[in-house]
Amino acid sequence: MADSEQDNTDRGDGDNLKSDKLFTLKKWNAVAMWSWDVECDTCAICRVQVMDACLRCQAESKKDFYGRQDCVVVWGECNHSFHYCCMSLWVKQNNRCPLCQQEWSIQRMGK
Amino acid sequence: MASMLKDWGQFTFEDKWPCMRPIILKLLKQEPVTQGEWQDLFFSVHLVCLENEKGPPKLRDALKEDIMDFIKQAQQRVLAHQEEQALLKAYIAEWGKFFTQCNYLPTPFRQLETSLAGKTSSTPQKRNQPDESIVRKLMLDSWNQSIFGEIKQRLQDSAMRLVRAERNGEAFDSQLVIGVRESYVNLCSNTTDKLQIYRENFEAAYIEATEAFYWVKAPEQLSLHGVENYMRYAEAKLREEELRAQKYLEPNSASVQLLTECCVRVLVATFKPAILAECPRMIQHHQTDKLRLMLKLMDRVPEGVGPMLRDLEEHIANAGLADMMAAVDVITQDSEKYVERLLDLFRRFSTLVKEAFDDDPRFLTARDKAYKLVVNDATVFRLELPPRQGAGVGTAVVNSKPNNNNNGQPESKCPELLANYCDMLLRKTPLSKKLTSDEIESKLRDVLLVLKYVQNKDVFMRYHKAHLTRRLILDTSADSEKEENMVEWLREVGMPADYVNKLARMFQDIKVSQDLNQQFKEQCRAAIADSINIKILNAGAWARGSERVTVSLPLQLEDYIPEVEDFYKKKHSGRKLQWYHHMSNGTITFSNQVGRFDVDVTTFQMAVLFAWNQRPMEKISYENLRLATELPDPELRRTLCSLCAFPKLKRQLLLVDPPAHSPKDFAHDSRFWVNQEFAIVKNGKLQKRGKINLIGRLQLSTERSKEEDNQSIVQLRILRVQEAIIKILKMRKKINNAQLQTELVDILKNMFLPSKKMIKEQIEWLIEHKYIRRHDEDINTFVYMA
Ligand SMILES: [Zn+2]
Ligand SMILES: [Zn+2]
Ligand SMILES: [Zn+2]
Repeated sequence: MADSEQDNTDRGDGDNLKSDKLFTLKKWNAVAMWSWDVECDTCAICRVQVMDACLRCQAESKKDFYGRQDCVVVWGECNHSFHYCCMSLWVKQNNRCPLCQQEWSIQRMGK
Repeated sequence: MASMLKDWGQFTFEDKWPCMRPIILKLLKQEPVTQGEWQDLFFSVHLVCLENEKGPPKLRDALKEDIMDFIKQAQQRVLAHQEEQALLKAYIAEWGKFFTQCNYLPTPFRQLETSLAGKTSSTPQKRNQPDESIVRKLMLDSWNQSIFGEIKQRLQDSAMRLVRAERNGEAFDSQLVIGVRESYVNLCSNTTDKLQIYRENFEAAYIEATEAFYWVKAPEQLSLHGVENYMRYAEAKLREEELRAQKYLEPNSASVQLLTECCVRVLVATFKPAILAECPRMIQHHQTDKLRLMLKLMDRVPEGVGPMLRDLEEHIANAGLADMMAAVDVITQDSEKYVERLLDLFRRFSTLVKEAFDDDPRFLTARDKAYKLVVNDATVFRLELPPRQGAGVGTAVVNSKPNNNNNGQPESKCPELLANYCDMLLRKTPLSKKLTSDEIESKLRDVLLVLKYVQNKDVFMRYHKAHLTRRLILDTSADSEKEENMVEWLREVGMPADYVNKLARMFQDIKVSQDLNQQFKEQCRAAIADSINIKILNAGAWARGSERVTVSLPLQLEDYIPEVEDFYKKKHSGRKLQWYHHMSNGTITFSNQVGRFDVDVTTFQMAVLFAWNQRPMEKISYENLRLATELPDPELRRTLCSLCAFPKLKRQLLLVDPPAHSPKDFAHDSRFWVNQEFAIVKNGKLQKRGKINLIGRLQLSTERSKEEDNQSIVQLRILRVQEAIIKILKMRKKINNAQLQTELVDILKNMFLPSKKMIKEQIEWLIEHKYIRRHDEDINTFVYMA
């Protein structure tokens, strides 16, 4: 414990060199939340929030879908967004955006 | 063969009878008959039957005459006795012999019977069962008509007197009674109901005598020895009479059951009120043996057990609430004591039900019902839920300000305290450190046991999730395996799946975040890697609807932010990050004139303390701290209070003038400065080095969100009620009010118990918004509107 304290002050971070500041940072545990950068929270196709896995993914693997990163979000050129799973089924029937009826083409995929 | 038969056909009845008769008489008298004589008799019968159609009737008449003669002699022997016992004994002796012969004598006359029935001799005689034997019937009928018919009443009376004597403890030859019964059974000439005579005479007399006997004895016993002893008497007599009935009454008939019913009526049903009146007292004094006996008796009479169940319920509710009231000072302060008290009560009541009622399901149900009352009682402490107005489906917006003097229903604080207790077991606490892994597990199981009885499980879930969030973010779980087990146990005890899934998802997400932190440290500059850990969590799993608080970070921290964001952008796309500084925390080193200390702090506390780095000896005003940190007023007050009035510290980190003890004590011009005399005090000694934790309970909940907690519980309930009503109507299309209420409670029971009022309001709301409508002909029926 004493050693690591010593290390910390010795190595310093430039402004720590002069040291004897009243308070010095030892460790910061920073918390952030991520969410899909979407305009509408809910997928218009399956009516589930896009932050949750789509209905099909939830039903298929009830037990372990929570940690899955692969039920991602897709954005069209129209800027509307849906679950990628939901949209790829949708376009087989109808190659238009369910919200604005523009021809569907993928602008980007979430990762 | 044919010619031989013809030869034998010469013999007539008159030829053969003289040599048959002596053998028949010997048989009747039960005198020994030789093998030869026995076979001769068969042969003679055969020859007589071959003679012509006149032979058999003659033989039958002659036989009958001899049987009658024999019976007359027997009758004289029996009636020679005047005294009843002697008469009965003589009768039974004669009857015994005669009845035995009824089984032998018919055998040689089989062919006669066949001939009389108009059949030829050579066909197989299937119908010739001894029971149906004509000769046997002849013998029994004759006996019945002469001897038995004449004295059966006397016989029966003396048999009953014998039974009575036995009840009074005298011993006698039970065959005397049994013989009379056998006479009744075997002498019945009604072939379709062979027990008719027996039932109408012997059985009826037996039951009547029994009833009369106990009609006198039972009240005598009760008034002489009291209820407790009477129960023992009644139980013993019931068993005794059942055994006696099995001996004296006809087996394979309803007799024993009828007798038992009669005994139950006289011995138990008559005294039901007197016996039941003792029940509450016995329950109160845990008199399990007596209760066990009472249940045995009461179980045999209609409406006997119901009052006992009600007594038990009443006792549990009263004793349970009284016990909680008596300890109210301790348990309202200490969730551990509260839970242990509740469990103690549960064990006490369960032991009673086990020892007194053998865990009879009816009594277990009564225990559960009453214990539920204790657990959910709101008199000891309550959670005040604000009243609310209708909100739209799918929105959790509060339409009106809560109005606290309105009729918000108070609820038990039990679910909150249970969740707190869980937290103490799962977090690194003095309690969890003191216990072994098995002990913790068994205590968690105890919590789940009580939770089963909690009406509003949604409150438990809310607090449990908040505690879990705190433990995961602060890395304060005592045992991560136990944490995950707990989630599965919650699933097992029937917590709603969507709720449990959310918890499971948090565990998954925290693991993803740990991997990410690892990768970050491998890729970024060494200096940064040493001083920062990142948790980047899925907002859907952790922070849905929660509020963020902004803060002006110390410069050093501010510098880290872009590094993390750049790293994250390279890994992921289409995502946005939001920093939750009210959840983040860290460790700082504090050096003053006394020594150096490692202090665990929240990021807000850090932001406040770092304001002194530029001006270590200055006094800074509240207002200037607000400008420096940009924290909202309530958060700043709370943070400052934790630094200058932290409960466990002898010496505080910050000093304030004028002195303050609570967040509202600070004025805008209150001045704060760093305590250069700060030191850790341990056992009265100053420590120059050391580590302290000032995070306390600050993390995670912002001032506002805490106030909104209870409000949102109510909002969520409204939504759940609305969803459930829609779900039911979608399925049923049409449903009446009563059934709707039942199905609603069924759907929601694992979360909370919806009040009638809430249901009514939500129905109104849904009608108003055209989700459902009332039926045209019946306003109490609702119809789904697509
Ligand atoms: Zn979808
Ligand atoms: Zn999917
Ligand atoms: Zn579109």
